[in-house]
Amino acid sequence: MPGEASSPGIMLLAYHLPNRLLGLSKQNLSLMSRTAMSLQSFGSTIRRRFLESEALRGFGLLSPTLLAMVFGLAMPLLILFTLSFWLQDYVDFIKTFSWKNYSDFFAKPIYGMILIKSIKISGVVTLATVLLAYPMAYFIAFRVQKNKLVWLILITVPFWTSYLLRVFAWKVMLGYNGVVNSGLKSIGLISEPLEFLLYNPFAVTITLAHAWAAFAILPIYVSLEKIDRSLLEAARDLGENAFMSFVRVTLPLSMPGVIAASLLVFIPTVGDYVTPSLVGGPSGIMIGNIIQSMFGKAFNWPLGAAISVMSMLTVTAMICLFLWGTHRFRRKIA
Amino acid sequence: MKKEDIVEQLATGQMSRRKFNQSLMALGATMVMMPVGSRSAFAASDDHPTVFTWEGWDVPELHQSYLAKHGESPNMAIFGDEEEAFAKMRAGFKVDLTQPCTYKVPIWKDAGILEPIDTSRLSNWGDLIPSLKTIPGTFEGDKQYFIPTDWGLTSVLYRADLAPEYVGNESWGMLWDPKYKGRLSMADSLIDGVMVAAIYIGAKDPFNMTDEEMAKTRAALKEQLPLMRYYWSSPADIEQALASGELVATSAWNSSYAALKKEGFDVRYSSPKEGAMTWVCGFCLMSDHDPAKLDRIYDYLDAYASVESGVFALTEYGYGHGNLKAFAKVEQDQPGLLKELGYSVNVNETLDAGIFQAPMGNEPALQAMFEEVKAGM
Repeated sequence: MPGEASSPGIMLLAYHLPNRLLGLSKQNLSLMSRTAMSLQSFGSTIRRRFLESEALRGFGLLSPTLLAMVFGLAMPLLILFTLSFWLQDYVDFIKTFSWKNYSDFFAKPIYGMILIKSIKISGVVTLATVLLAYPMAYFIAFRVQKNKLVWLILITVPFWTSYLLRVFAWKVMLGYNGVVNSGLKSIGLISEPLEFLLYNPFAVTITLAHAWAAFAILPIYVSLEKIDRSLLEAARDLGENAFMSFVRVTLPLSMPGVIAASLLVFIPTVGDYVTPSLVGGPSGIMIGNIIQSMFGKAFNWPLGAAISVMSMLTVTAMICLFLWGTHRFRRKIA
Repeated sequence: MKKEDIVEQLATGQMSRRKFNQSLMALGATMVMMPVGSRSAFAASDDHPTVFTWEGWDVPELHQSYLAKHGESPNMAIFGDEEEAFAKMRAGFKVDLTQPCTYKVPIWKDAGILEPIDTSRLSNWGDLIPSLKTIPGTFEGDKQYFIPTDWGLTSVLYRADLAPEYVGNESWGMLWDPKYKGRLSMADSLIDGVMVAAIYIGAKDPFNMTDEEMAKTRAALKEQLPLMRYYWSSPADIEQALASGELVATSAWNSSYAALKKEGFDVRYSSPKEGAMTWVCGFCLMSDHDPAKLDRIYDYLDAYASVESGVFALTEYGYGHGNLKAFAKVEQDQPGLLKELGYSVNVNETLDAGIFQAPMGNEPALQAMFEEVKAGM
């Protein structure tokens, strides 16, 4: 059981935490449980403490979310982390600490190479998505006067279908006898279907850029919408032309939206495995496919966990780099 | 009461509580009386065992006598391949029966998830093809861990109208022909993919290769990579692609051939000169099965191993069946069909001609090698 290693610590915490919070000692507790009277006072103590302590009330309000975070995110992450230091032996785990998975990660060039490729693909996807989403968001924020909500809903309409369906739609578009090929054929531009459209990194990039567009449009729209229009007027009054006032006022003020959009697209697409496995072909595989194969076909969970951890660390590093870069960029143009 | 009235009365608050409850009751009664057939699709009742199997082998036609006896099909769960099934079961998914292929039985047995099957409780056991009962790794002394119910071939399926030069000159080398660059495919799997390359390079025992043979296999896969459209993971992929002409040749199972042939395409299921691969799949009893369901588990196994199931598998899917009598029955009812599907009337001839898929030695190394080749290394 992967969870075993972490369970004693959690148990200990679960035992001590409530007592600490309530300021009760063990003796106090056992004394009170003896009589009904003290039980009653126990109840009122809790009540009083709860109402007095702001922190406790805060925790009380947070608790559903906190529990969901701990059990849904922190625990699995801890298990994954623990797993990455074990080893696979045929059908069993060797549960002793080892760096072997990590040294394997660095010793075999395949993992690093595919991780870099995934980051490249996601980088291009992010760039394309943000560049395409920005004009759309700009249009809704500045040009649309009436029924903005309708426009926003219209943008999300393609996302009402399932993700898988959208990937398959691109398969139909780019396929051998697909929309693009048969269209080009019917107007006589090509005689044989183009084969480079599908089953390569190009197809993965297009599909991902389309599938994640809504996640870029909405945050950019929100930050553009918030911009005080009088600032733009002031820029024009002070003699900047339309382009420069965009570069020096609109763009820096919408940067939070651009950053949010970039992160929202970049982080999930690095680890995506459905899209590359459906439209990627042999040359379009990404790190998600490798991890999936480690947990499935290759049956080496610890190595898969180590690759996951490495991929998470790399993505974190990339994001820090990105945030640092955008920070400098904002200071430069502001 | 008309539909519009209900909506209007609800909206304006005119509907009485009693009337509202009446409508609700009518709705509930309708739900209960909905045809049983559509309801059984949701879930069989709790008394039925859960069978973990491949898509297509879960159909009621393959367990008719169970259906007749118990009124419903057992609970069916579908896997894409055995590795996925294994990973799911290790993660806690509880099933009673699984339907893996022979090359996976030893590792599952070693993992301690299988239990021997009492063959004396199966009335059809005696009719199953004897040579399939003694495949190494599927039994231990007199303990039988595996009921061989299905078998078939892995071979090259190609469009004879697009590649007519191969008719009468079939080999695995078709999947390495640069003439059809970008229009070839192979299964994304060790047993149906990498082993094909091992057979192609002429490995003495493809399932236990020497280091030298491994290196040769790797070179062959690397040579093949630029010719591949993709590595397929679902038969539907290659069936559509062969139909449209996107693919000219690919490794495939019998069912793809049967399906395309039925649609009228000029496809051939080759007999490569190096030998086609034969796979055998069947049932394993899981050690954590529910003992209370054991009778039904054996009923299911017996139903699946019957002649009727065999006839269905052969005529609908083109797959071989473990029950020898099914072949005789098909030959009697539809003379010539067996030959068309690629089987000799004497089934043992077909079985002897193929290369039996066996557990692969050093699977992790093979998998790592395949991943690297696919990544272009």
